[in-house]
Amino acid sequence: MEFATFWLAATPLFAVPLIAAALGLILNERAGVLNLGCEGIMLCSALAATAAYLETGQSVALGLVVAIIAGAVVALGFGIFVVILRTNQVVTGITVVFLGSGLTGLIGVPWTNVALGGLQPIHIPGLTGIPVIGRFLFGQDPVVYVVLALVGVVSYALYRTRIGLKLRAVGENPQAADADGVNVEAYRLFAVMAGGALIGLAGGYLALASAKIFVFDMTQGRGWIAVALVIFARWMPWRALLGGLLFGGIEAVIPRIKAEGLPIPQYFLEMAPYAVTLFVLIYAAIRLRAGQDAPKALGVPYVRQDRR
Amino acid sequence: MTRRSWLRSTRLALEVRQRIPPLHRAAFILGALIVGLAICVAILVGRGVGLASIYEEFIAFTFFKASGVSTVIVQSTPLVLAGLSASLAFRVNYWNIGIEGQLFMGVIGATLVAIFDVGPESIRLVLMLVAAIVLGAAWALPPALLKVRLNVSEVISTLLFSYIAFYFVLNQVYGPWQDPKDKFPHSEQYDAIERLPPIGWEQVHYGIVVALAAVAVVWWLVERSRFGIQSRFVGTSPRMALAIGLPVGAIVASSAVLSGGMAGAAGFVIATATEFRLTPAMAAGYGFSGIVIAFLAGNRPFATLIVACLMGGLYVAGESMKVFYSLPDALVGLIQAIVVLSVTASEFFVRYRLRLAHYRGA
Repeated sequence: MEFATFWLAATPLFAVPLIAAALGLILNERAGVLNLGCEGIMLCSALAATAAYLETGQSVALGLVVAIIAGAVVALGFGIFVVILRTNQVVTGITVVFLGSGLTGLIGVPWTNVALGGLQPIHIPGLTGIPVIGRFLFGQDPVVYVVLALVGVVSYALYRTRIGLKLRAVGENPQAADADGVNVEAYRLFAVMAGGALIGLAGGYLALASAKIFVFDMTQGRGWIAVALVIFARWMPWRALLGGLLFGGIEAVIPRIKAEGLPIPQYFLEMAPYAVTLFVLIYAAIRLRAGQDAPKALGVPYVRQDRR
Repeated sequence: MTRRSWLRSTRLALEVRQRIPPLHRAAFILGALIVGLAICVAILVGRGVGLASIYEEFIAFTFFKASGVSTVIVQSTPLVLAGLSASLAFRVNYWNIGIEGQLFMGVIGATLVAIFDVGPESIRLVLMLVAAIVLGAAWALPPALLKVRLNVSEVISTLLFSYIAFYFVLNQVYGPWQDPKDKFPHSEQYDAIERLPPIGWEQVHYGIVVALAAVAVVWWLVERSRFGIQSRFVGTSPRMALAIGLPVGAIVASSAVLSGGMAGAAGFVIATATEFRLTPAMAAGYGFSGIVIAFLAGNRPFATLIVACLMGGLYVAGESMKVFYSLPDALVGLIQAIVVLSVTASEFFVRYRLRLAHYRGA
């Protein structure tokens, strides 16, 4: 009982960075841009959030805003390369990961390994006290509820608005979209920046809420897990929410199992998120045939003059 | 015509160049390299490193002093193998991001042979090399099969395998293989017979023979063998390769496995010539370095050798930057990332021409 209460209560703390990053990646990939630099963008924004938080009198809100801006700015740099200069999206993405790691390692020293007060959960009298699910549903920090709302916003924007329609068109068939007067480059850049802002929120939340500290390379592959999550979610925001909760739940159970003192070797436990991601990818490939749902122009630079 | 309508009727158009003169290409790439390196120098100067000491550490010591050159050669040896590893996979558009994991498995293979004293001492080192290659290749096999059979993205699966290998290494060095002598999280030191011997000049060891042999083998494989021609087809146009009946899946999978074996060999060299044991930090950075080397060398074996030596110089200089200016390890990765970005950007200007296009009646 107590195990379940604590586990459920801790799950959103791990799930939110994955969900926010996956939402950002869905925006990117729906417009045809494969953003493998997610991990690097998350690192940069985690540092930006920590620095802003520590330098401005410990304001979490300001830290998160700075993280969102940092994410959008780094993503804009990535976007200029892959959208305007048409560079190889895989090579550029991987490079952004190491750029983020190197940059935060070089300039992040003064803000690294400083414990932060960070973001605190809310308390609603009566509701938070409900057994087992009370803290899970009503005892989270405000950002959890904001991200929950963002899932709906992104979903609505993608499927129910003109901008979302054009954005998806650019990712499915840029030739047709271009012929119809849609500015492919502009939409892709917009998608990359909007997605980068969400990835930035994920990084900022990771530092200020999940870990409450910034350490070198703290993302630990979460950006890549988010990339896998998008495939599992078949590029749909609601499924990313479910997948994020599943992955977050697995991450959240590790410290619980350690606390319970179960006889499982520690480092095999640490492998779990990566192994589960792998199994989920295989499941998605076999049972869901996820590949069919991928945006058709994903990862392909668009050049109007290219004959096809 | 007013100025405003002129602006409206004019836009920047991209034109694909029909023909790219080699000199033109070289000039753009050289220009990009200069811009990238200038950014790196600016970053170093910004961190309080003087121009004179940048020249001293990055050029004078690494390339013009016997002790420096030998350090660079020692550092370059595993980098050559990591670069070859990446290039073998990239040739067929297989993005092997898990080189570090395969390298770790290589070290685990070598360490297994060393710990359990497998085989006679006279061929112990050879057995260690074979074990390293086999385990590295074996670790690259599942993602390759997943890619070929189920079309699971190798970018993610190889990376996940890398993380799993890393935690397995941690499990070993904090558990069964922890050094009984000093209780530190690394394996017991290899015996003298299990270390690559020096060739007799400065600190250079026989790893250089392994690396040069690997370059020769890969050169033969990609330039002279049937496999090389077929894999070039697969890399340039997979649909065409399928259409003419090439076994695309088998070629991609075997390239990936060869890449893993080469990464295992890199692990063998680091373990038997530098570390003499399994440590959790020994693979750090080799994955990305391999990718960078293969990318800058255009997947060509001899160019890989040269670029790897330049990277070796960067590693050695980065090491002294770390000691003398307390700059972080991440510096090397940052410089590599900046250089790669500037070179990828230059490809745009090589491939396309920007032109002002006028549209009437817009």
